[in-house]
Amino acid sequence: MKFKTLLTLVFAGSLLPALAQSDSEVYMNYPVTVKGYTGDKTDSTSYSGQIARHVLHNSLKKLAGKGNGEPNEELKAKMMAYYSGTGEGREILDPTSKEGFAVKQTMVDEISKGKELKGKTYKGAVNSWPGYMTGPEVIEFMIDKASSANKGYDPITGYDYGQLISKFMMGAVFYNQAVDNYLDERLSAEKNPNDKPYKEGRHYSGKEHVWDEGFGYFGAPAHAVSLEANQAYSIAKRKPDVMAVADLNNDGVIDLKSEMTFAHAYYAADADKGGKTSYLADITGAFIDGRKLIASADSNALTDAQRAELMAIADTIKMKWEQVIAEATFKYAGSVYKDLQKLITIVEADGDVSEVFRAYAKHWGELKGFSMALQTSGQDLGETAVRMNRLIGFSPVHLDGNQVTGIDGNGNYQTASGSSMAEYMVHMVKLQNLLGDEFNLTKRKNDATSELEDLIESVGASTGAETD
Amino acid sequence: MTDYDTIWGIGSEMLLVFFDPLKRVYWVYLLSAAAIAFLWLKFLKNFSFFGAIRKIFAKASWWNSSARADYCVMAVNSVVMSVFSPRLLGQTAVAYLVFEWLHQLFAGRPQAADMVPEWLIVVAFTLCLFVLDDLARYIVHRMLHRIPVLWAFHKVHHSATALNPLTVFRMHPVEGILFAVRGALVQGITIAVFVFFFGSQVQLIMVFGAGVFNWMFNALLANLRHSHIQIGFWKPVERIFISPAQHQIHHSISEHHRDKNFGVALAIWDWMFNTHCHSNADEELTFGLSVESNEQHHRLTSIYLQPFAEVFHSMSLPFKRVRGNERTELPVDLTGVDRGFFNK
Repeated sequence: MKFKTLLTLVFAGSLLPALAQSDSEVYMNYPVTVKGYTGDKTDSTSYSGQIARHVLHNSLKKLAGKGNGEPNEELKAKMMAYYSGTGEGREILDPTSKEGFAVKQTMVDEISKGKELKGKTYKGAVNSWPGYMTGPEVIEFMIDKASSANKGYDPITGYDYGQLISKFMMGAVFYNQAVDNYLDERLSAEKNPNDKPYKEGRHYSGKEHVWDEGFGYFGAPAHAVSLEANQAYSIAKRKPDVMAVADLNNDGVIDLKSEMTFAHAYYAADADKGGKTSYLADITGAFIDGRKLIASADSNALTDAQRAELMAIADTIKMKWEQVIAEATFKYAGSVYKDLQKLITIVEADGDVSEVFRAYAKHWGELKGFSMALQTSGQDLGETAVRMNRLIGFSPVHLDGNQVTGIDGNGNYQTASGSSMAEYMVHMVKLQNLLGDEFNLTKRKNDATSELEDLIESVGASTGAETD
Repeated sequence: MTDYDTIWGIGSEMLLVFFDPLKRVYWVYLLSAAAIAFLWLKFLKNFSFFGAIRKIFAKASWWNSSARADYCVMAVNSVVMSVFSPRLLGQTAVAYLVFEWLHQLFAGRPQAADMVPEWLIVVAFTLCLFVLDDLARYIVHRMLHRIPVLWAFHKVHHSATALNPLTVFRMHPVEGILFAVRGALVQGITIAVFVFFFGSQVQLIMVFGAGVFNWMFNALLANLRHSHIQIGFWKPVERIFISPAQHQIHHSISEHHRDKNFGVALAIWDWMFNTHCHSNADEELTFGLSVESNEQHHRLTSIYLQPFAEVFHSMSLPFKRVRGNERTELPVDLTGVDRGFFNK
């Protein structure tokens, strides 16, 4: 063998593991292992139904801001079409193409046909919202209110329905489906066994598809592990400067099925900016580890040991996913705290509060929505949930100290005098402490008491082992 | 955990104080104290080079029954306090409580940060923390002497008949708990008030890992207070800062030194509250509780249990008739050492 050939082989040999490694860090191209499959598919990865639901959610949020302040049945019907409809012809309202950022699909059906959100919404009681409703009832109630609000905003209650619907839905649909279904009971030996196709004729096994669906609901691009947090974040914002890194297959367009950041993956990336946390890479990496483990079973039923390992990976995902939502709740509790401080100052100076109050309502909607989402995992958060709901209440506290306390038989909000805005600021401090402690948070963005903690650390513990 | 791990854990916990700039016996502070003592002896007291060294490291200060008791107490306390400290009221709890309460008091949170230059906030915070901490130490220290129940515990510290920098650790854990709570209250309140008004602009001016004033006190004075090197200041300075010799007076058994110089870094509190006493270079001091040396004072059982016995004894007095020599039945004769408020 000539030296040059030998050198080429050695070089190629050394490169192969690197390529394999790089390939394995992308959530795609897992082999078709189903025994007896005769079709032409070569990649068993499949979660387009989940991506279709992400697109439905994004579009619904867009619609929630379209009202003109008058009851609008047409808008309501359109919103319902994106929530509970399955018909054809639903346009993707978000994410859409823009200058420097081209999106491949324009219609929901191009991703997956006949998908809807209502059937996948958390069916349990939603104690964090007035009216004793189930998850789907809460969302339909909010859709009704949003359709008659001005750009989704009700200044009387301070509700920003776009934020409330979106943040709650991310929990009630995506998070709930993933952690309470696909990464939970569907991992049992009996359900969706790995030695059978998910459905007759499908090119993926039961467990392969169950795991893919969990990943799909998280909303990360397939190559999230190789992306920096701010890149994954900017992809969701459709920023042209990340078009190149988003476009994994270099075809010049962003395929929503594998190259877009959605939902909680976006909030994981948001938390990870700055490097204190690595939720996005950790969760995506865990999904990849689990998928590789399932693929290695080669469509044989998973052994008890393999299933135990898979459950452990699932537990990591569940824990970190919960932390992502809790970090977002923490962040917006801090935003609400700052808004309240500004509001009180403006009120004292007899100034115009409208702009700051609008920001307050938006941040409160995000806070409330995320806190509601935290309670949709199927696991009872117990005292933590009770305390969280009590601290936040059913609406933002108004300038006059009024707060929504319930909903009457006609679906109208009831209000009563509650905490003052100053007391509500304290509620936000307590809420951040509760979230930080209960969910072991690291990022803690907008921490209202970070300066306290920093100074206490500088001063040092007063252990009192010295005397005079 | 194995016995070895336990011993290693206790040992390392104890040794950590020599490597923590927030502790008085941080090795840098000990070194600077030795250097100051050397310069004092060599250039102001005309000691020879080796004479000064011998004086600083005299066996009479560093290795006798009193000093050995200091070292043992230090070891035992590091274990005891590691158990109690996490359960005590901490700065964090106090700071949060006050921070929250201030929101209610001011009906919100005034945005005061823009009204005052940042440098002034930083200087004010650093100074306030130091001064208030010092004042609180004065008050608690005075209470330890004036309230009989507390004196029973603080007496452990004053039973030292030789002083060296580690005597600072010779204390009963009850006093340790009291001091910890005091620190938590003062620091927690000060931090909360400043953060409430000035937010992220509040910072502590730090030097090598400690607040600048604490660092200066620890580097220059702290370790010489508990020593046999009698360094006094010019009288006007001794009205502001307590000299090492003034604190040694506090440990003196002489009648005219009793209940003097409770201050830690600042002498102004003693001066304001009539407990001030200047140092006197010509006066030889004897440390301890009484003229007669009592080896019982250096036994660990006495150090840890005697205060409880005294407190129990004093509490039971009103309920039963004092018989004969009952008080002297206690392990240590109390009659010569009680300096409590009610005995005056």
